[in-house]
Amino acid sequence: MFDISLTNIFTEISDGFLNPQKRVFVGYLLSAFLIAILWSVFMRKNSLSISLKEILSPKIWWSTSSKSDYKIFAINKLIMLLLSPALIGRLVIASGLFYALYDIFPSRPIILADSPQWLIGAIFTLCYFLFDDFARFYVHRLMHIWPILWAFHKTHHSAETLTPLTVFRTHPVEMVLFSLRSTFVQGMSIAFFVFFMGERADLITVFSANIFVFIFNILGSNLRHSHTPIAYPKSLEKVFISPAQHQIHHSTDIRHRDKNFGVVLSLWDKWFNSFHHSETKQSLKFGITPKVDKQNDCIDKSHTLNTLYLRPFYDVTMIAKATLSKRPRYFIKRNQNHKHTINT
Amino acid sequence: MITIIIKILINIPFNAKFIIEADITIGFRRELTMKIQKLLSASIIIGSSLIYMNAFAASNQAYSDFPVTLKDYAGKKKTSVSYSGQATRQVLHNSLKSLAGKGTGEENAELKAELLAYFEGKEEGRAILDPTTKGAFVIKQSQVDDISKKKNLAGKTYKGIISGWPGNLTGPEVLKFMIDKASSANKGYDPLVGYDYKQLISKFAMGAVFYNQAVDNYLDEKLTAENKPNDKPYKEGAYYTGKEHSWDEGFGYFGAPAHTLSLTPKEVIAITKRKADAFAKADANKDGVVDLKTEMAYAHAYYAAVADASGKTNYLHTITKAFIDGRQLISDAKGEKLTDKQRQQLMAHADTIETNWEKVIAEAVFKYAGSTYKDIQKLKATIDNNGDAKEIFRNYAKHWGELKGFSLALQTGKNNLGETAVKLNRLIGFSPVLLGNTQVSGIDSNGAYTQKSSETLEGYMLHMLKVQKLMVDTFNVKARSNDGLAKIGDLSKKLGSGKSAEND
Repeated sequence: MFDISLTNIFTEISDGFLNPQKRVFVGYLLSAFLIAILWSVFMRKNSLSISLKEILSPKIWWSTSSKSDYKIFAINKLIMLLLSPALIGRLVIASGLFYALYDIFPSRPIILADSPQWLIGAIFTLCYFLFDDFARFYVHRLMHIWPILWAFHKTHHSAETLTPLTVFRTHPVEMVLFSLRSTFVQGMSIAFFVFFMGERADLITVFSANIFVFIFNILGSNLRHSHTPIAYPKSLEKVFISPAQHQIHHSTDIRHRDKNFGVVLSLWDKWFNSFHHSETKQSLKFGITPKVDKQNDCIDKSHTLNTLYLRPFYDVTMIAKATLSKRPRYFIKRNQNHKHTINT
Repeated sequence: MITIIIKILINIPFNAKFIIEADITIGFRRELTMKIQKLLSASIIIGSSLIYMNAFAASNQAYSDFPVTLKDYAGKKKTSVSYSGQATRQVLHNSLKSLAGKGTGEENAELKAELLAYFEGKEEGRAILDPTTKGAFVIKQSQVDDISKKKNLAGKTYKGIISGWPGNLTGPEVLKFMIDKASSANKGYDPLVGYDYKQLISKFAMGAVFYNQAVDNYLDEKLTAENKPNDKPYKEGAYYTGKEHSWDEGFGYFGAPAHTLSLTPKEVIAITKRKADAFAKADANKDGVVDLKTEMAYAHAYYAAVADASGKTNYLHTITKAFIDGRQLISDAKGEKLTDKQRQQLMAHADTIETNWEKVIAEAVFKYAGSTYKDIQKLKATIDNNGDAKEIFRNYAKHWGELKGFSLALQTGKNNLGETAVKLNRLIGFSPVLLGNTQVSGIDSNGAYTQKSSETLEGYMLHMLKVQKLMVDTFNVKARSNDGLAKIGDLSKKLGSGKSAEND
């Protein structure tokens, strides 16, 4: 059943770096690196050697925090290899929904029947991108505002130095949630479009990656998790999230709490009142601060695998206990706190 | 690979700390290295030659030459393998199919008589109409009796009621009814009801005769301890035992060349089509002719090969291998009654054959439901543009005939398909949905078809998709040719894996 071997894990890992559909594809890492250097040299007026030293600083890349990222990266690949066969597939969802649509629309109306193929492809690609980006935003938002999910998402936010690989610093529970999210979004998009547009539904790709994913990544998406605070002009930041804006999301500053949940578009954050512009001369401290009372919201900066993998379960039991006791302090405080941050 | 293993094996002792610390002199090391190298090369040579021999033996496995094991046999036969009766029926089926397309659209008593001769007749003098010599593809026999005498299809046709066909007829009755209609149809095609009798007769007969006889009789009832025991001849005077011959008959109905394991699916397809360049592959004994008894590919073996050509399945070799392994097991019993354990092992091989064979037919149902779906798509587009739909409708009828025939064949197996059969028959109906949104509903007392209003063409397209889904859900088909939902799979692939759960 499960074909787990070292070769498999190796292929999984190498595929991540060689596949243009993935964030850490070498091409994207390279483009991020170049963008960071250019920014440092031309915007910050640093010399090339200082720029290189800053970008490649072992203080970032070989910190306790980053080292734990690397370990988590490898361990999670193994966990995902074991788990993925058990997760529901997009084909199951897509075909199930496809048949369900037939029950609702027995005559299967084909829409935009006279439109050219490229237009249908463009519409599908755009709709899928918007739906996917919104779903990422929304699930991410839930990870922050729902205490039980926050317990797991803290694994990601406990990173104190950010590198492109921090994107993989996630708790397996969160991985499963995000994987299911992606499965549902893909399954639903495919079913709807194939049903209403038939054979013409198509995805516009560049190097086999969704064109939007490609553009987002080639323009330095990997700098979101870095110490290079590239900001966009304010008007642009209202639509697209800059690396600096995502770094604000990781900031320990109380003013930055629960801001900028989005991935590509910041429109969602605008609508859900969690938008925050980048700041001039931004210099942030990354990590987590206690959100509520310390008893239930553990802040452990040890970066041990034990803390990162097991602590969330302990937190969840504490939350459950608090909920079951007469005074669910956690929830009351959490909600107040949330309102407070939104209003400021 | 091997060199890497050698390097690792040789290097490990000297890289390991404890040996270095033991201060072994360089000379001793060299000596040791050479000894290990010799030992390794020797074992590698022995090992790889064993592997090579095994591989050679495997590729050389054929369904032939199993010795006579019958006790007290005094005759001259060297091998107990015999399935010429089945080869004859394969040829009768091929010939019947070819004849079914010979009608001119007028009543034709002569053609009907000829068709019946290949279906239920046993008389001498029937020529082989298919497969015949085609260019460089030279075939040994030209008369049916050259293979085996007094054989017919009707006597071996499944006798149960065929509920997927109008009229509440039994298997032989359905075939006779279709033969009657085919004799007066134009090239086997009736445009009024969308029937292609050539396809209907052929595909249904493949199920009702070959599949049914093999999996419901020879690999089922004849494998019990009491029936056809291995310590007695199959029938008086025979040189093969009860179990040997039962098993051979099953293999003969599958229709694979005896040397199938040394052929690829594509080669088997080419042999069935009598392609000139496939001749050398077909002529296993190199006598310059293809023997229809042992070297030709027919019916189910061909469809197994068609599915396997997708690269996603391995039905042809799996089934053939199980036949050969089962035959070896019987042969190894050396004419003694099979023990319970041996019989259990034999049943396990039979089970492999049955489940894979069933999948082969289900793959064909899947495939032709897909072509029917595509035909309706084209038909609708042509009608919408006021084009001439005649030819497209002809293809629709042909593919539907294959779909219907295979779906009926699927229901003639060992297991009662129950709900699956009901669903399948209802989804497909008695005929394709015709242009006025009607479908055949029955047969009146004069043998003419009655029609009633039905699904629309769009609705019928959904039926085709549901047939495909039914094949996936019930039989877990894998080759999935002409998948109506292929676009879903394509887009899914393009969107990339959802497994990576990166988050910000």
